[in-house]
Amino acid sequence: MVQVKKNIYWKVAQKGFLDMLPLNLAVIPWGILCGSLAIQRGFSVLEALLMPALVYAGAVQLVVTELIANNVPLATILFTAFIISSRHFLYGLALRNKLKNLPLRWRVSLGFLLTDELFALSTHRKSLKGKVRLIYGLFAGGSFYLSWLMWNIIGIIAGSYLPDLTEIGLDFAIAVTFIALIMPNITNLPALVTIIIAGVFSVIFKLLDWELGLVFAALLAMYGGYTTSRWQTRKAIKSEIKEEKE
Amino acid sequence: MTLITILLLAVITFSSRYLFLHPGIPLRIGAKLSSFLSFSAPAVLTAIWVPIIFIKDGSLNISPDNPYLIAATVAVVVSIKTKSVYITLASSGVVFVLLRVFL
Repeated sequence: MVQVKKNIYWKVAQKGFLDMLPLNLAVIPWGILCGSLAIQRGFSVLEALLMPALVYAGAVQLVVTELIANNVPLATILFTAFIISSRHFLYGLALRNKLKNLPLRWRVSLGFLLTDELFALSTHRKSLKGKVRLIYGLFAGGSFYLSWLMWNIIGIIAGSYLPDLTEIGLDFAIAVTFIALIMPNITNLPALVTIIIAGVFSVIFKLLDWELGLVFAALLAMYGGYTTSRWQTRKAIKSEIKEEKE
Repeated sequence: MTLITILLLAVITFSSRYLFLHPGIPLRIGAKLSSFLSFSAPAVLTAIWVPIIFIKDGSLNISPDNPYLIAATVAVVVSIKTKSVYITLASSGVVFVLLRVFL
């Protein structure tokens, strides 16, 4: 029995790793960029290592490295990091009912690993429910953490010898992995409304250079999806009542 | 100094992820909020990828010579047809590279 269980855990661990693999590879340019930028901006090797190891957030690392190098006041740096990180509050909220009653070690480890990428793999109604799915999440998230660390280290070693990798269009990879993870799940009207609103407003807000645009575009989109599904439910109930009367 | 900044940054990123997983937070997520939050993944992830495709050098680029746009269209079609991350990445990646080389 124990052996069977161990086999299942081993299998889901592998599946977690394999499902995350395309994302691990898609962030190679970003990871290398983060590492090399830190060195180029005068961070010590230890500091450059602690950024991916502890802060562990690509967008925050890129922006903040520039701010620190330009001697921007600490409060501004922290506030900027807070704004960029604010989308993670939504991830925590979305997973709260599934994770809040778990032991501390699960909450802290999955919480620490809760990047855009791990969240993207945790969208199913059942994901992270039960030990098997938790192990899946832990290995998916853990492999992403180790990859991120590895790409950053390569960047740190290569340092100033590297050109700007985003200039040659490698940011395309991360966009495509999100497309591949999201689009197959857009199978009903509320989901379609959600992505249309998110797409339109994220572009508008980005063009306006509005820092909180991502979160607001997402909130508007969620509201749109939610309202559409409520409208559908109400319509369904109404037609049912009509049928009963006839 | 930078070291302290990094530690504070780590506190910010970790707490933004962990905060709502903490059972002590006085927040009960009912059916309505839960249904609202069920749209968070497509909403946030779409809001991340769409600007990468449509905005080039700070302005909107909806023209056929934007390789991001063409290759992303391929990605959308292939991902819906195959539901495979690997096939989607490979096919749209090839299209993207070819466009970059020949456009």
